[in-house]
Amino acid sequence: MMREPRIYAVAIGAMVVSSLFLYLMPLVPQVIIDGVLLPSEGGPTEFEDFLLSLMGGVDFLRGNLWWPAVLILLLSAAAGLFAYFRGVYAAKATERIIQRMRNDLYRRLQRVPLNFIDRSETGDLIQRCTSDVDTVRIFLSAQVVEMGRAVAMLIVPLPIMLLVSPLMTLASVVLLPFIVLFAVFYFKRIRSTFLRVDEAEADLTSKIQENVMGIRVVRAFAQQAQETGSFDHRNATHRDLDNKLYRVLAWFWSTSDLMCMAQKLIVLGVGLWLLFTSQLEAGAFFFFLTAVGMFVWPIRQMGRILAELGKAQVALGRIQYVLGQSEETDGESGLVLDAASLSGSIVFRNVTFSHAESAPVLLDVSFEIPGGSTIALVGPSGCGKSTIINLLMRFYQPDEGKIHLDGIDLSSIDRTSLRSNLSVVLQEPFLYSRSLLDNLAMGRSSAGEVEIVEAASIAAIHDSIMGFDDGYSTVVGERGMTLSGGQRQRMSIARALLRDPAVLVLDDALSAVDTNTERAILSALQQRHHRHTTIIVAHRLTTVMQADEIFVLDKGRIIDRGSHHELLKREGLYQRLWEIQHEGMDAITELGGGDLS
Amino acid sequence: MTQMSPHVEDVLGTVDRGLWRRVARHGSRYRKFGLSMMIGGILIAIVESLLPLMSGLLIDAAIDKNVVQITWYSVVYAVLSIGFCILVWCFIIAAGRLATGMAHDMRRASFVRLQELEFAYFDKQPAGWIVSRLTSDCRKVASLMPWFLLDLCWGATFLLFSSIAMLAIDWVLGLCVMAVVPLLVVVTIFFERRLLKSSRLMRKTNSELTAVYNEGITGVRTTKSLTRECENIEEFESVSQSMRDYSMLNAVQTSIFVPIVTSVGGIGVGIALSVGGLQIEEGYGLTIGMLIAFMQYAVLFAMPVRELAARLSDLKGAQAAAERIEGLLEREPEIHDSEEVRHRIEVAAAGNQSGVADDGGDPRIKTIDFKDVSFWYKPAEPVLNHFDLSITPGETIALVGPTGGGKTTIASLLCRFYEPCEGGIYLNGVEYRKRSLHWLQSSLGIVLQEPHLFSGTVASNIAYSSPAASQEKIEEAARTVEAHDFIMQLKDGYGTEVGEGGGRLSVGQRQLIALARAIIADPQVFVMDEATSSVDTETEHHIQRGIEAVLSQRIAVVIAHRLSTVRSADRILVIEGGRIVEQGSHKALLEAGGAYMALYRQHFAG
Repeated sequence: MMREPRIYAVAIGAMVVSSLFLYLMPLVPQVIIDGVLLPSEGGPTEFEDFLLSLMGGVDFLRGNLWWPAVLILLLSAAAGLFAYFRGVYAAKATERIIQRMRNDLYRRLQRVPLNFIDRSETGDLIQRCTSDVDTVRIFLSAQVVEMGRAVAMLIVPLPIMLLVSPLMTLASVVLLPFIVLFAVFYFKRIRSTFLRVDEAEADLTSKIQENVMGIRVVRAFAQQAQETGSFDHRNATHRDLDNKLYRVLAWFWSTSDLMCMAQKLIVLGVGLWLLFTSQLEAGAFFFFLTAVGMFVWPIRQMGRILAELGKAQVALGRIQYVLGQSEETDGESGLVLDAASLSGSIVFRNVTFSHAESAPVLLDVSFEIPGGSTIALVGPSGCGKSTIINLLMRFYQPDEGKIHLDGIDLSSIDRTSLRSNLSVVLQEPFLYSRSLLDNLAMGRSSAGEVEIVEAASIAAIHDSIMGFDDGYSTVVGERGMTLSGGQRQRMSIARALLRDPAVLVLDDALSAVDTNTERAILSALQQRHHRHTTIIVAHRLTTVMQADEIFVLDKGRIIDRGSHHELLKREGLYQRLWEIQHEGMDAITELGGGDLS
Repeated sequence: MTQMSPHVEDVLGTVDRGLWRRVARHGSRYRKFGLSMMIGGILIAIVESLLPLMSGLLIDAAIDKNVVQITWYSVVYAVLSIGFCILVWCFIIAAGRLATGMAHDMRRASFVRLQELEFAYFDKQPAGWIVSRLTSDCRKVASLMPWFLLDLCWGATFLLFSSIAMLAIDWVLGLCVMAVVPLLVVVTIFFERRLLKSSRLMRKTNSELTAVYNEGITGVRTTKSLTRECENIEEFESVSQSMRDYSMLNAVQTSIFVPIVTSVGGIGVGIALSVGGLQIEEGYGLTIGMLIAFMQYAVLFAMPVRELAARLSDLKGAQAAAERIEGLLEREPEIHDSEEVRHRIEVAAAGNQSGVADDGGDPRIKTIDFKDVSFWYKPAEPVLNHFDLSITPGETIALVGPTGGGKTTIASLLCRFYEPCEGGIYLNGVEYRKRSLHWLQSSLGIVLQEPHLFSGTVASNIAYSSPAASQEKIEEAARTVEAHDFIMQLKDGYGTEVGEGGGRLSVGQRQLIALARAIIADPQVFVMDEATSSVDTETEHHIQRGIEAVLSQRIAVVIAHRLSTVRSADRILVIEGGRIVEQGSHKALLEAGGAYMALYRQHFAG
């Protein structure tokens, strides 16, 4: 397989050959007119004589004018053939480079540490992967070739032009530098106008986006008129700026057209004068006129492309930024866990963690969880529950302290192996836009239908799925929007169960599930007790009361731990939370509502 | 690929002239610019078709050494060139006015329509889909218009005038050169069709590519948890491979098409040279200058055919976009004020009375009655079944019951986000479809479970319904819902930017701000659907009293999972299967020991 630079070289070679043929085309009528139809007084020049003899000589041509016509056709076909090679080879090289760039970007995004994604805006990352890549692509496939074409169109006829008439050659190129410079400087100057149009458009788009996303709130407060007003303002700003861009471009195109026309007029004027003074023949004049017509427009384009070189550079820089991120597994070679023999015991020893430059989220936390047990983490928002999970999954690294799984230091375990033995169900789980069956099977691709249905039943989602028109083949819509929050949570619980992990983590994963269903899921999980270590994070205390042990967290520390009954007896956060959640409990007890615990 | 073929074939069908006529109506305000484009196109074509003739005449004059003629023709040539540049300037300006103006008007009409459409529309279409109708579709359709008008007139005129010029110079030769045109048309149509198809495939694959990137980024946590990186990469690579394949297909087609068209032009030049040359050799008819002019015409003749074909395929390419926009604009909102109500609103606006609603009716809502209300999305599956409910002045009603029981539907019907399929809802005894929609919705304070915030500051979000509200009023509302403390802990306090959709705040924090936003509007009736479901236990406990104070003296309809939230309601309704199965005060219901009691025990028994 050829490498890209070589393919580009082939493309450029083909382009030069093609433009050579393009120029030979007008040469044919030139020598025919000058040598055969209207022989000049001084006889043909040496060059013309040479060309004429190539075509079979003046005498032959005089009786066979069909032959130059066929020659023109052949030349244009040859020019076309090489133009085809140029197009195909340039595209081949470009598409290869671009495909590799896209694949590298995606791969890198899959493997960067989570905090890189958390720090970045999704829209910005996507823009780097799509429109920036497109800018580079257009630069490589169209603009590089276009510039090469401009140069080739200019360079190829030069020797012939110089041979025919040096003075006319000078007349043909005298304005070209000005045409290029004008384009370069003009586009540099109006770059800010382009930027402002882009900004106005982005502003308009986000206004529309927000309105559509928040349409319920708009209606709820009857703010349609106000919304329309602020939309109108942006819409008009965008229109006016866009209009300004057209005006600016109108000046550019008309002025540069004028310069190109002037270049042609100079050729016409000088040519006429030379023709008039018999220093030039009509055919040669025609050749110059055609040549100018052929290279003046590509040269004008070149000016514009030169001015836009900066854009491609910026885009490339933005792509490099993503590609330059280190992957989370860089330089690691970890232990691969043996899933069958894992007990799932977890130890945190003096673990401290903080996000960059802010107060610690976890402070000197230590605990141990025996394999196969069920523990729960409770506490107010921001107390550090989710951070414990993130550290356990090695989404983040602890600043201080050690974490062990089955006695093995987490940092010495292969990341993939670690994660495939831990299953986390998130509060806002992500479903891929494909069928429910595919989404479930992502837990374990080897899972059979029976196992999938079993997992779905434990997670209390089987009946809902069967209620959909397409059952398990129902395709999840945009970010899983066609399912309710509770259904998504249950889907992802089923997905996690299919993996049959050593450690199962429910990170507030039942918050959108109603009490009734939650109870069913928890008791089904209870039956699988000891099959895996289970960590439950929840706000609702009824969710966690069955756990073997409950850790109460506050402000990054474990402030209490024990079973539900032990904690309830002690004065503290747990007891207080329980009371708040169960005010009115007495009413039931008084009424003889029964034994509640 | 096979499954998208029918769609592509549809687009390749004929241009839908009725549709484009309707689209063109959006440009009626800019008719004069459209007309200038057309006139500009005609003038430019005339100038351009005269230029080769002029250069031919010039050459002949030079060969004859006719100084007067040379000077005269040179001046005309120069004037035509300058005229050409001025025309270029004019039509770009006109194109700008037409394209940007049309895009602006179409966007505005679509936006206004979106403000009126019923929620069912938004339930069915993803937000991104709707947004692209107003952004890229409007741009695509509007920016196509001026160039279509221009090239249509330019191409037709250029063909006409250069034909006349050629025929005038030598009609036999002219006919020979024009014989190439049918071939050109066939080749062009053949390739334009294929190009249109491959570029559609490219665009489609490109949006697929964007979607996969999007999934890869937003789903990164899930991907890492499931250790699915390798599978994801493999899947991505298959999409990027097809993107490359389609791009190559398109490049190959273009690379064949353009040279063929040039070569066809070569045929014309060849014919002109051999036939015209023969005439000159034999010493009759054509002059050298006219032969040269002729050869230029032969080359240029291919241009308008290509341009016309390209514009037509632009039109076909944008047809889907135009259909989508027209589809949106022609969609009648299902929920709107009736003729009669609109008439009353006009009368009331003219009358300028104070102390009445905008439709001239009673501005206060004293009682609300659901009478025999049924509602369904699909007739076979009713959500509400002959539902009756009377709410008395100042009453707080709590709705509890299992998911899917119909609680949210009751709230949505009350807000007139949806209308009953059967039965009616009466405000002070008047069916609410006989009242103004704007009045009703601005009298309600609606707090939804998914608290959407708009980008802007915390303060501007709280003051959403009354932008003029003072800082004190904003803080007071925030204090009522215990949001003041956490707001003050944010980096810039009330001036903190909440991010797109409120994304920089937690769901619980967003719910508190949404609550404050409703309270500051001081509505007559509160409707709260799981308004505090994500607020943590302690905070929820603290805001209870503040909310109770706000709700007393007003009608309120509250939906909650947490029973602690609903205990203080005047009346609790247990909703199951679209019916009220039990109702009464907390205490009475517990004593009754029915459905509510069961719910209550379930809730606590874990």
